[in-house]
Amino acid sequence: MNHPHDLPNQKHSLIGKRIPLIDAFRKATGQAIYTDDIKLPGQVVGKILRSPHPHAKILSIDVSEAENIPGVHAIVTGRDAENCFGVLPVSQDETALAVDKVLFIGDNVAAVAADTEEIALRALGAIKVEYQVLRPFLKMEESLEQVPEELRLHPKTYDGTNIHKQVEQDFGDFDRAYDEALWKKRQSFRFIGVTHAFTEPMCTIAFFDADERLTVWSATQVPHYLHRALAKVLEMPMHRIRVIRPTVGGGFGGKSDPFPHEMVAALLSRKCRRPVKILFDREEVFYSNHGRHPSKIDVALAIDKNHKISGLHVDALIDGGAWGSFGVVTAYYNGVLANGPYKLPNFRYRGRRVYSNKPPCGAMRGHGAVNTRYAYEILLDEAAHDLGLDPAAFRRDNVLPPNTKTINELRITTSGIGECIDRAVEASSWKDKYGKLPFGHGIGIAGGFYISGSALPIHWDKIPQSTVHLKVDLDGGVTIHSLAAEIGQGSDTMLAQIVADVLGLPIDYCRVFSEDTDTAPIDLGSYSSRVTFMAGNAARRAAEELRKALIQAAADLSGYPPEVFILKDEKVINCTRPEIQVSYREAVRRAMKDCGALQSSGCYQAPPMGGKFKGAAAGLSPTYSFQAFVVELSVDLQTGKPKLHDVWAAHDCGKALNPLAVEGQIEGSIHMGLGQVLCEEFAYNKGNVLNPNFLDYRTLSPMEMPRVHPILVETCDPEGPFGAKECGEGPLLPILPAVSNALFDAIGIRFYELPITADRIWRALERQKKSSATLV
Amino acid sequence: MRLPDFDLHYPTSLEDIQGLTKKFLETGEDFDFIAGGTDVLPNYKNRLNPKRQVISLSKVQGLNKISPNCIGALARVRDIAAHKELGIHFPGLVQAAKLVASPILRNLATLGGNLLLDTRCYYFNQSEFWRASKGYCLKADGDECLVVPQKEICYATYSGDLAAILLVLNAEFELHGPDGVRKIPARAFYRGDGIERFVKKPEEVLTFIHIPETQSKTRGPALKTAYRKLRARDTIEYPVMGVAMGLKTEGDRISQLEVAVTGSEAIPVWYGDLGFNGERICQDTAEGLKKALLNRVKTYKNVPFPPGYRRSMAGEFVKELLLTLA
Amino acid sequence: MNQTRTKDTGSSTGNPKESFGNTLRFLTLRVNGSELRCAAPPKALLLDVLREEFNLIGTKRGCDMGTCGCCNVLLDGQAVPSCLVLAFDCEGKEIQTVEGLSVEVDGHLHPLQSAWAHSGGSQCGFCTPGFLMTAKELLEHNPHPSRDEIAEALSGNVCRCTGYKKILDAVECAAQQLQGISQEEER
Repeated sequence: MNHPHDLPNQKHSLIGKRIPLIDAFRKATGQAIYTDDIKLPGQVVGKILRSPHPHAKILSIDVSEAENIPGVHAIVTGRDAENCFGVLPVSQDETALAVDKVLFIGDNVAAVAADTEEIALRALGAIKVEYQVLRPFLKMEESLEQVPEELRLHPKTYDGTNIHKQVEQDFGDFDRAYDEALWKKRQSFRFIGVTHAFTEPMCTIAFFDADERLTVWSATQVPHYLHRALAKVLEMPMHRIRVIRPTVGGGFGGKSDPFPHEMVAALLSRKCRRPVKILFDREEVFYSNHGRHPSKIDVALAIDKNHKISGLHVDALIDGGAWGSFGVVTAYYNGVLANGPYKLPNFRYRGRRVYSNKPPCGAMRGHGAVNTRYAYEILLDEAAHDLGLDPAAFRRDNVLPPNTKTINELRITTSGIGECIDRAVEASSWKDKYGKLPFGHGIGIAGGFYISGSALPIHWDKIPQSTVHLKVDLDGGVTIHSLAAEIGQGSDTMLAQIVADVLGLPIDYCRVFSEDTDTAPIDLGSYSSRVTFMAGNAARRAAEELRKALIQAAADLSGYPPEVFILKDEKVINCTRPEIQVSYREAVRRAMKDCGALQSSGCYQAPPMGGKFKGAAAGLSPTYSFQAFVVELSVDLQTGKPKLHDVWAAHDCGKALNPLAVEGQIEGSIHMGLGQVLCEEFAYNKGNVLNPNFLDYRTLSPMEMPRVHPILVETCDPEGPFGAKECGEGPLLPILPAVSNALFDAIGIRFYELPITADRIWRALERQKKSSATLV
Repeated sequence: MRLPDFDLHYPTSLEDIQGLTKKFLETGEDFDFIAGGTDVLPNYKNRLNPKRQVISLSKVQGLNKISPNCIGALARVRDIAAHKELGIHFPGLVQAAKLVASPILRNLATLGGNLLLDTRCYYFNQSEFWRASKGYCLKADGDECLVVPQKEICYATYSGDLAAILLVLNAEFELHGPDGVRKIPARAFYRGDGIERFVKKPEEVLTFIHIPETQSKTRGPALKTAYRKLRARDTIEYPVMGVAMGLKTEGDRISQLEVAVTGSEAIPVWYGDLGFNGERICQDTAEGLKKALLNRVKTYKNVPFPPGYRRSMAGEFVKELLLTLA
Repeated sequence: MNQTRTKDTGSSTGNPKESFGNTLRFLTLRVNGSELRCAAPPKALLLDVLREEFNLIGTKRGCDMGTCGCCNVLLDGQAVPSCLVLAFDCEGKEIQTVEGLSVEVDGHLHPLQSAWAHSGGSQCGFCTPGFLMTAKELLEHNPHPSRDEIAEALSGNVCRCTGYKKILDAVECAAQQLQGISQEEER
């Protein structure tokens, strides 16, 4: 394979190799340090007083009694920091603590720093808050009503309602396509919210020190955004703030906003001048949420007489909870990301994201694309079924070709969707099984595609989205400085692999320093599946700069022209005369001779792309991943309990830089997606989260997991680092509809509401027994 | 999450325990026993009726022995699940033990703790903050049940796995208290609502569980036993419906039938033969049994899964158990 | 509406009442072969003592309710969630934490640890120490478990990253390695 990033005379030593993650040994020995593992001298405990009401005005807060409790060092309330923040510059609607109103049960009201947890809790109990309870908005339809100003959750809403963001897009002529369709259907779908359920609870330590500098250690995916938000809320310049990201125990989007508790820890520390740690109970993690939006999505699909998809209309109503978070993006993604992996000539979309009095929703693995994907793929399956077509072949006939543009002007470069379908079909023996398995046993297919990083950054300030610095030691060790957040996905390993490969070094020459804003150049962080593509490219460019310097050094030492040299096995080798070699260390010393320090820098900025219409930026990505999954399952007809047997998961990751890590992402995505389709529910009892714990918020155990067969499809993206694209989110998309389509194959029942729990399947089976109708 | 403050006592014998409870009864101090801790400690963390005095049973000797006809209350569920001899005589008991919670919790949990498990409910098993924001319920700190609104009866759900099978086996629970030792049939042990739960007095310790020898294989044909449990995942979760059955047959007819259900009402319920003794075992009988049980099982909207579905599963399970045990 | 009710809440989310007197007692635990001491209140949980008093931070706090297994340690050889164990209950018992795994093999990686790394059993790694302890108990009782048996044994531990496949791979791989070691020892 010839990729523009490959050198003609050089084989890769590390790219494409199945190697352990570079932090795996630290993690397997308990040596990896997470935020809660850090204990600073003089550290005190921070605790947050939370709202017992879903919607209320704060009339007064009296902290006088709490202040007098021995061992209490600081108390803060909303009035101590009224500046708004939020991950998106367009909806800065959060404050460190509630200023005038509380917006959900669990909202932040006041906070205490004290010597011990017990004292802090006692102090919270001594804070007297007077509330005036307001009408809560708990169903998303209610948020569409026009209401008086005091019932609006935020100052900026649409037309006197509680709609946060409304977007409309119309491409082609959907109405005509629908009128002329051979097959068409309108269907309404309902999705309950789900949450990330990472194992490490949120934790932050803040220390405002004697130099009046603030250091914040936090379990975050986005140290740079946290850095910005702290500066805004605390009204401090960024250069006086340092953010450190210790090892992060899982994120999945749930740690990708700057959070109020991070501001609160900093405010408390500024007041008491001691390090303050805030560690969440599991219940508080649920109140922080930022999980997938519950939604009601109406979809209309048209198939023309040539069995081609001719039109799609999506109308999504999504429940954002109390704050904006990434919601503007979510509002777009619910529609925009339906424009693949199939060719779609006519597309209409309306998306409305509403505020409600519930913990905020935000970005979660597969952000914005998952629920619409489910609806679309179910209707595609119905169309194939009704038209007597094989659903796999039908999808295959409709795929987007590579190097094309979608109707909404997404730039598609490489696409492996065809190969994904073919290989999943083949590996699963689809043709022997589809429609041929006994009642109660079924097989289903679905496809998907996802962005590989957002082409347009959140902040429009023309700074590269990723920058990587390299620093070489005297003995040739390479320190990689980046702010791409390692959250378990393996980004540190990816950076080290790329740099070591370019320099022809064993990977242990590379140390990755990706946790500190004081030393790292800017990187926007680990979200939107951007890191391998963007930070990977930045690392590659930085390493290529170094390679150039080392080759020049070898050329100077040996007298041969630079063009003939390659770096391999810790040597700079003249490939026309391999006996002419300069050792890597010699080359390093020579390269340092004139400058003292051997350093380099590389960056990545997505090329300009996209249309000129409103919202054109949403969904743009320098490249897209593609996937097709086949699921085989059976249903216990007595209880309705589904049993998953196998998942054949074909994913176009461009190039698997480390197949072990890519498989891990696919397998993990499947686990999370299976949870949403089968049993996870972020459930409410009026305004209370009903199940804020791991007993009742049910993630699948190893006993429920099917055999997962990852199939890596490599299309070698010309712009991806050595061809790589994302693999952390796309593989979540197809699993939900593939399960549902397999259930239809098994029992002849369609499910338009998630999760598809045993009791729902059982009830549907009972109804099926009673009537011949097959729809529920 | 931290536990509330309490004084912790480590008696090593039943006499020690009686000394302690006598003292607390005199001083009027509330106390709890704690064995494995897997039920008490989460409840204490949630500030669900914690007591000032806690008596740990972890150092009490002699209460963890397992023999087919007598099991110490401090026997670990893990050891019951792995006990070969018990498995031969009472396969249903071992089967139920294997289905308790998860392996790591079975390593801690005791038989006694499982039998005395506190009842569960969405409005009860929540943190202090949660319950304060919702309004406290009858079972802890409040005066009204939030499941079936009224002020007399707590409608929480009993969620132990092992009680149902012991009801089927007509086990006897041995209690040691200041007034001596008494044995109470399991079938008379569970009484009252989600708060009262059983006839054991607070100062009494559950020491041994006796299973009549007539139920084991040592004397003639044994009662065949089995247990089925409903939960979303095959691990960690409590039963939201559990059905235990004991069956003896003569020819193709039922000569003894014992059915008990857990995960339904505030106590586990023994239904006896539901009027099916002497019936011929066939599909129709199984259907009839299913309907009979379904009509008597009560479920409420207080734990995962809709009440109607849980009831239906009781019916499905009893039908299946009859046909598989026969 | 005033919040008038004052109670001891335990969780970070509410209003505690006046706490009871809380006397410290001397606690002696045998952890990873060493005798460790501290003063602790009766309510101290094994997890709190390990992390806060003995600085054995490899044991992780995940859910506080025994439902995630991140805080699993071996107590007399059995894997238990240390968030549900009273520290004083452990006096006189052997405790092993993840830090003790390599102590056991002279500071080298225990076969489970190296299998975990090489099989991709850790992504974020937060669940890893707890899983390792559960897996160790399993392999000691059942040196050749089937894949289903491994899944069952590990079903009290939650991992949100891996989908468990590579965790099961790691246990299988470690079982093979340990088998090799024991065969070598027999020779």
